[in-house]
Amino acid sequence: MRAPRRLQRRIVRYIVSVVVVSLLASAGALLLSKQRSLVSSLESSARTFSAMVSLPLAKDVELFRQTGHQVLRQQLGRFARLNHDLVRLQVLNVDGVLVMDARVKDGQVELEAGERGGQAPRLRDEELIGPVEALSLSAKRVAYSGRGRVYRVVAPAVEEWGRHTYTLVAYFSYARVSQELLRAGLVTGVFLAIGVLVAYAASALLARTITGGVEKLQAGVQRVAADRFDERVEVDSGDEIQELAESFNVMADRLQASIAALKDAYVRLESLDQSKRNLLANVSHELRTPLTALRGYLELLGDGQLGELVPGMDRAVEVCQRNVGRLTTRIEELVEFARIDRDGAALPMGTVDLATLLHGVVETLWPRLEQKNLFCSLNIPMDLPVVRANGESLERVFLNLLDNAIKFTPQGGSIRVRARKLRLHERDGVLSEVTDTGVGIPADQLQAVFDRFYQVDQSSRRRFGGMGLGLALVHRAIEIHGGSVWLESREGRGSTFSVWLPLERPGQLDAGLPAVDSAQSATLDGTAPMGDAGRSEA
Amino acid sequence: MKHIFVVDDEPDVVGLLKTVLELEGFRVTTATEGRTALAQILADPPDVLVLDLMMPDMDGMELLKLLRLDPQGANLPVLIVSAKSGQQNQIGSLQLGANAYICKPFSNRELVAQIRQLVGLTSDGGDNE
Repeated sequence: MRAPRRLQRRIVRYIVSVVVVSLLASAGALLLSKQRSLVSSLESSARTFSAMVSLPLAKDVELFRQTGHQVLRQQLGRFARLNHDLVRLQVLNVDGVLVMDARVKDGQVELEAGERGGQAPRLRDEELIGPVEALSLSAKRVAYSGRGRVYRVVAPAVEEWGRHTYTLVAYFSYARVSQELLRAGLVTGVFLAIGVLVAYAASALLARTITGGVEKLQAGVQRVAADRFDERVEVDSGDEIQELAESFNVMADRLQASIAALKDAYVRLESLDQSKRNLLANVSHELRTPLTALRGYLELLGDGQLGELVPGMDRAVEVCQRNVGRLTTRIEELVEFARIDRDGAALPMGTVDLATLLHGVVETLWPRLEQKNLFCSLNIPMDLPVVRANGESLERVFLNLLDNAIKFTPQGGSIRVRARKLRLHERDGVLSEVTDTGVGIPADQLQAVFDRFYQVDQSSRRRFGGMGLGLALVHRAIEIHGGSVWLESREGRGSTFSVWLPLERPGQLDAGLPAVDSAQSATLDGTAPMGDAGRSEA
Repeated sequence: MKHIFVVDDEPDVVGLLKTVLELEGFRVTTATEGRTALAQILADPPDVLVLDLMMPDMDGMELLKLLRLDPQGANLPVLIVSAKSGQQNQIGSLQLGANAYICKPFSNRELVAQIRQLVGLTSDGGDNE
């Protein structure tokens, strides 16, 4: 939930800062113009005041100097009440000598100089002398000790007939302007604060409406990411975010539908596959029972136990028997394949001595080798280690490979069975090879040989019979043992099937190594005891 | 004349077994249901029982178990004839006390040889299996 908060903060910060800047700018402009108008009104009223009072004051000063008449004090009090900015009044005579100096403090006037007969100092300020001599009103902002700047107006008192008598110097304070400005500034500040608060609240509300939708969307996305496809996002803001949420919901709908369909299909496929495997494994009973009756009665017929056969019948019975035999073999293959395909991983494993096993396989198929007049050699070293495997299933593998070799090798050909130690993919193991001088397999079809039900082509199927299930069984069984099986072949020259089996299955390092069983291997005669026999008996 | 009792739910297989064994000179009684078979066997114990494993009313294994519990059937030689292959079935039935096991489809000669062995007769040389 961090991202939406950041977004919210950004929106608020942006809007509030825009509002603050614009409010500050307008407040500044307002205060500046207020100050200007205050100052100029102060100054103009100061000049007007000075021009107005200079002559009456001069007369009062003259009267005071000559008679000591106290009208001057009353007059000064009136003047002080007339202009609140007035802080000091000075009167100079034509020689520039200060004859009166009065300060105004809190509406009270204090006369400091200009007592009759008193020795008043001559004003030496050059800046004052100039205007006095010019006989015209002049005004200036000047520094004034203890009060910052003041507005000083110099107003000469000129009588009606042009005689210049005294000069008034009046000082006006800007304090009132400052006070006014301060008050205005405070009011402005209060409004500014209110404005900022309102802006903050409004922007926070706006941000919430925006990020609220985003947060809901984000929560929705996280739910979908957590495989909860059934929940929807509810945003009712009536803007683009609502549109986005609606699009998101449509997407979630489709996702949910597709995933449900996929899951459905997967479950259906799984159960189909399982029932296929179960079917193949369970039909054995159904297939074998009718074969039992067929085989038994055919045997009775063939043996003549049910009476002598009419000539021609014996031939028919023999064909039936042969075909029942073939059917039986195919069913056994099919059942075995289904069994390995279904319970492969759960096959019980033990130590298997390949030397004994290969000898047994050759012995089992000996009648067929004889029948086709095939030379068979068996080459197994004495110290061949045992492998960890399921003996029954390995026996089936080599029966199939040898049977295959016999099937595809023409009369008088030869078959070689060899085994030796071989390290493959960094693991110790045993390599067993079955080589024939048969028809071979075209290079482009090598890969497909191990596929279920595959046989090189239709014509060879007719020639040699069989469903090609045998090699698929070999492939699956060796795969279950963690081994490899591969095939080299040259068309017309023969094929070599190679089966490599690891000495130990991964994770079973403790198992089955007590086992370079030389005693057992020694009972076999190393190389090719069968070969010569096979040749000679033909 | 040695008496063989055949139990199999498949009439054709029962017929075959009966024919083959009668041709070999045995007296053959048959049943196609496990329950009735058990009662008959205990009432008149045969010399050898030929037993199918997969039957609808009572499994061959079940019948064998009950048979071995009864003093009458404890030592009766039993040959299992089954369409179930695989070592597990063989070992299982032998552990329950069966004396021999052959898989369907079997050869008549193999069957006869097994029966002869079980009744303690030697082959009279007609068949060399």
